[in-house]
Amino acid sequence: MDDAIKLIFDVAAFASIMVLVVSGLAVIASLMGIFNLGHGEFVLLGAYTVFLFREWGLPIWLGMMVAPLVVGAFGAGVERTVIRRLYAQPVIAMLATYAIGLIIREIVRGLIGGKYYAIEEPLSGAFQMGGISFSVWRTVIICATVATMVGAWMFLTRSRTGLQIRGALENAALARASGVSTARLYALTFAMGAALAGLAGALMVPLFSLSADLGVRFLVQAFLSVMLGGIGTFSGPVVGGAMIGSMVPGFQWLREIPGVAEQVSPVVAEVLVFVTALIIVKFWPNGLISAGRK
Amino acid sequence: MALPGTPLRKRRKIMPILEVGVLVALLLVPLLTNDFHTIIASRMLLLAILAISFDLCWGYSGIMTFGQALFFGMAGYVSALLANKAGFVQIWGIVPVSMAVGLVSAFLISWFLLLGRRTPTIIFVALGTLTASYAAERLVAGWQWIGAANGISVWDFLKVGPYEIEPGPTFYYIILGFLIACYLASRWIVRSQFGLVLAGMRQNEERLAFFGYRVQRFKALVFSFAGMITGLAGGLYAFHEGFIGPGNLGIVQSTYAVLYGLFGGVGTLLGPVLGVGAIEMIAFNLSDIDELKPYWPVVLGAIMLVVVTYRPTGIMGFLISTRERIGTFGLIRDAWRDRPKPDDGGSGGTA
Repeated sequence: MDDAIKLIFDVAAFASIMVLVVSGLAVIASLMGIFNLGHGEFVLLGAYTVFLFREWGLPIWLGMMVAPLVVGAFGAGVERTVIRRLYAQPVIAMLATYAIGLIIREIVRGLIGGKYYAIEEPLSGAFQMGGISFSVWRTVIICATVATMVGAWMFLTRSRTGLQIRGALENAALARASGVSTARLYALTFAMGAALAGLAGALMVPLFSLSADLGVRFLVQAFLSVMLGGIGTFSGPVVGGAMIGSMVPGFQWLREIPGVAEQVSPVVAEVLVFVTALIIVKFWPNGLISAGRK
Repeated sequence: MALPGTPLRKRRKIMPILEVGVLVALLLVPLLTNDFHTIIASRMLLLAILAISFDLCWGYSGIMTFGQALFFGMAGYVSALLANKAGFVQIWGIVPVSMAVGLVSAFLISWFLLLGRRTPTIIFVALGTLTASYAAERLVAGWQWIGAANGISVWDFLKVGPYEIEPGPTFYYIILGFLIACYLASRWIVRSQFGLVLAGMRQNEERLAFFGYRVQRFKALVFSFAGMITGLAGGLYAFHEGFIGPGNLGIVQSTYAVLYGLFGGVGTLLGPVLGVGAIEMIAFNLSDIDELKPYWPVVLGAIMLVVVTYRPTGIMGFLISTRERIGTFGLIRDAWRDRPKPDDGGSGGTA
């Protein structure tokens, strides 16, 4: 029983990271119809900011606070210089984000080399509750994710800008006709999405080690999450992200069953997640959330 | 009507000149340079086949494939394993097996991604292929039996009967022959009535679907064919380089395929070949400068960004007009040639 609670807790920590990554990707995709293929590299950029702060001898937690701002500002810059020209051609915009992702990835690879860096948790240790010990850092991740999600949801449903965003999502032409500057909204959304990726990258870097190819893995998983959850709603991608995020450590955990570990290597378990997700998508092409509604 | 005829005949046709020019240049390479450069050029020709297959998918049928190297690498692995584990190196066996591996794997992927109940979005296909390529790279890199992250070295040479083909002029001409065959086959496909359907799909996929064309099946066919020629290139690549590794079927090689295509100019078939030449030659010349080496992929990314943002037609956009790029198609051209007119001096040879 204790093991089960511990497992659920760990899975929840990984799922939280995925939720952060996916919500950033999905908010851009649903509003602008542009699937940001450089999103994984935005995550990487967030992680790299934390790494830089450690290299400079600054506190890691400060780096984690700054990372979303840095990546958000970067996202705003990308939107202003590149994406803005390409709103009329979403496919070309996706190719452009792919190129941007490639540039970030290779610059980071050039800077850190082909190495893997482990970054320690700013709040290490564990606390006891009911005889079970919980890692402090994973608790922080879960709390930060829940807080961010609640904040984002409040922003979208309660604030004036949130209303405008929802309006633009429903009918962009009508929103413009009503005097809402969709260009401003798009810029804001793109920056927000990038900032969410940066936050995810900063929070997760103690759990995963930092390497240049980190982003691709997150892009693939985030894509599967969006496909699973369906696009255009707030809850869909979040649920999808939670599912993929828990399947990845969940499948690894299945290897604990006696006799399985010899047959299934960790890599195979990871690939099995992809296969499972793709098969689900194949049979519920609209995503699970919308499938449930009909 | 834009039928090829008098108005077109006055225009200078640049595409045939380019095609012949490139062909002559490629034929002369082993005569004008030493073996070292010939071997590097052979490698480029193999990559050119990969780039053509990307062009078939993206430039002609709107399949955004970020995983084209998957078929390249898989065929490479199969032929490397045939050589190392079974000792089979005959070219008459390696080539069909490589093509079959590419064809079957591409068909399976396209069956999964394209032939569903619902029309797949472009992004689903793009990330589906990316995922397949990424997953394959991870699997292969973790599989000890096929060399894991170190890849497989192929020590044996490819054989024609009892003769060994070492990398060099002979191998170069064999590869060139395959490249020409792939190019002509692709050209025939995109210039036939089948190609006209593809052109229609590019313009307006829904309208074609309303006409009764099963658009996704056309896409799956092109994708499978592209996978087949990529497989051919991959199988030869393993022997030519004497090595195949996880990088050859993963996202790095796939990204290169995209880059070659976009840089050269998609939708032209010849453009990707020029793209490979340009990018690989710059890379080769830059590889001597050690400070630049780690940042070369950054330069590539920047090139890609500039091309997609400012110059979507690539190098070919500077050389040929849009009208010539789109070209003419099969039966209409034949009908024009066979038109009942006494003064027809066999002017059908357009495109």
